[in-house]
Amino acid sequence: MELFMPEAGLIFWMFVAFVLLLGILAKFGWPTITKMVDERATLIDKGVEYAEAAKASLEDSETQARAILAEANRQQLEILQEAAQMKSQIIDEAKKAAAAEAKKLVDAAAISIEQSRKEAELQFRQEVSQFALTIAENIIRKELAGDKAQAEMVEQLLNELEHKN
Amino acid sequence: MKKHSILIICITLVVLAAALSIALFDHSHHDENAKFDAKETIFDHLVDHYSWEVPFSHSHKIPLPIIVRDYEGDWHCFMSNKVEHGESCEGFYIDQSEAYNGKIVSVNDKGEVYRPLDISITKNVAALFITIIVVCLCVLPLARWYKKNGNKAPRGFVGAIEMLTCMIYDDVIKSILGPEKGRRFAPYLLTAFYFIFVSNLMGLMVIFPAGANLTGNLAVTMVLAICTFLAVNIFGTKEYWKEIFWPDVPIFLKAPLPIMPFIEIFGVFTKPIALMVRLFANMMGGHMIVLVLLSLIFIFKEMGGVAIAGGTTVLSLGFTLFMYIIDTLVSYIQAYVFTMLSTIFISLAQVEHHHE
Repeated sequence: MELFMPEAGLIFWMFVAFVLLLGILAKFGWPTITKMVDERATLIDKGVEYAEAAKASLEDSETQARAILAEANRQQLEILQEAAQMKSQIIDEAKKAAAAEAKKLVDAAAISIEQSRKEAELQFRQEVSQFALTIAENIIRKELAGDKAQAEMVEQLLNELEHKN
Repeated sequence: MKKHSILIICITLVVLAAALSIALFDHSHHDENAKFDAKETIFDHLVDHYSWEVPFSHSHKIPLPIIVRDYEGDWHCFMSNKVEHGESCEGFYIDQSEAYNGKIVSVNDKGEVYRPLDISITKNVAALFITIIVVCLCVLPLARWYKKNGNKAPRGFVGAIEMLTCMIYDDVIKSILGPEKGRRFAPYLLTAFYFIFVSNLMGLMVIFPAGANLTGNLAVTMVLAICTFLAVNIFGTKEYWKEIFWPDVPIFLKAPLPIMPFIEIFGVFTKPIALMVRLFANMMGGHMIVLVLLSLIFIFKEMGGVAIAGGTTVLSLGFTLFMYIIDTLVSYIQAYVFTMLSTIFISLAQVEHHHE
């Protein structure tokens, strides 16, 4: 059967042609193609890896940002509280100082009032005794023979004056 | 709407096919001598020729160069149309007898008919060159694309070639051989794949630049199998040879009588032979079934006449179309299987020492 008898001529040409094809493609075709296919495969793998890493770091930085924000809020609150505390403290101190000052003034005023009252009393006594002396003089002039009753009366007058003051 | 129009087109085509065949048979009835020989027709389509037939003509063929060396060692080269119709050219003629079966022969000085050394560019050789050009046109643009555009993904035809290449390279070669050895053997395996795939498909297209039964020819598959055989055995590791001649079996299986080594050596040769026969039988079988189905029309015409032939035309065209679709699938599958089995045979010869 011719179908099952390989022809020498065709074998020869097939061998030549196939080796030629293999030569051409192995020189100009496949090395570039396989290199690029492999390179692209690694590139895609790396890209996926990179994307995953980026996603993870994004999530990480988001949590970090949230933590920083919470910290800032907490500090702000603290500062506000401190300020409020400081304010009330200052007000208290000022109040205390003012009260002390006022007390000092009042005390000084009281002392000076007392002093002037004493001075006035002294002056008044002197004036009263002057008056009394004058009255007594007048009485004595009127009734030189001063009796006891009259002296008593003078005394009584003096006491009354004292009581009135 | 759309379904209806497709149905109408189909029916029209079927009726036309039947009518055309009836008309042709009516015409051919005038020539009563021409008896249809199905066997001869089928085998005539499967084997090689010195010229390439064109459609719708039996007398005009594309002439191809005939290169022969006579018994004295002189080379002769002439076009096939010079010996096409039984003429003799430079002492050479085509012998249609049973012994030489359409091959070119000559007569030596003793008057004996002999076959010269024949490296003619036959139909299959011409188809071989066309296939090689087509394969180059498929593969080299992809390489050029990569050189020009780097990692960008190609589009269109180049993209399709890339997809096919990646399918074989990534899923077959690299997954069986591993990345390192895969890169080393990829040029041969990919070339074999593309050569087989393209010539399978071109074998299915019936007119001129294609249509030769190339992978359905034992010479072609033999060379491919020999290439795989060489790739397996030249690059085989020490461990591979050790397992052939001194396999890891009980001593009585190899010491006095080398039973296992004999089987192993036998296996070394059966593997490529299986590759050769598988591809050849599948492609030749596909062509043969299509030819048989088409021959049915002519056989029935001779048996029953016009009406039966008309009916058979419709039926066998339907079957032929179906077979063509299957053959398209088989074209890919056989190229894939050849590549995959070659890869597996190569990987089996790349064994490293693995047991203590």
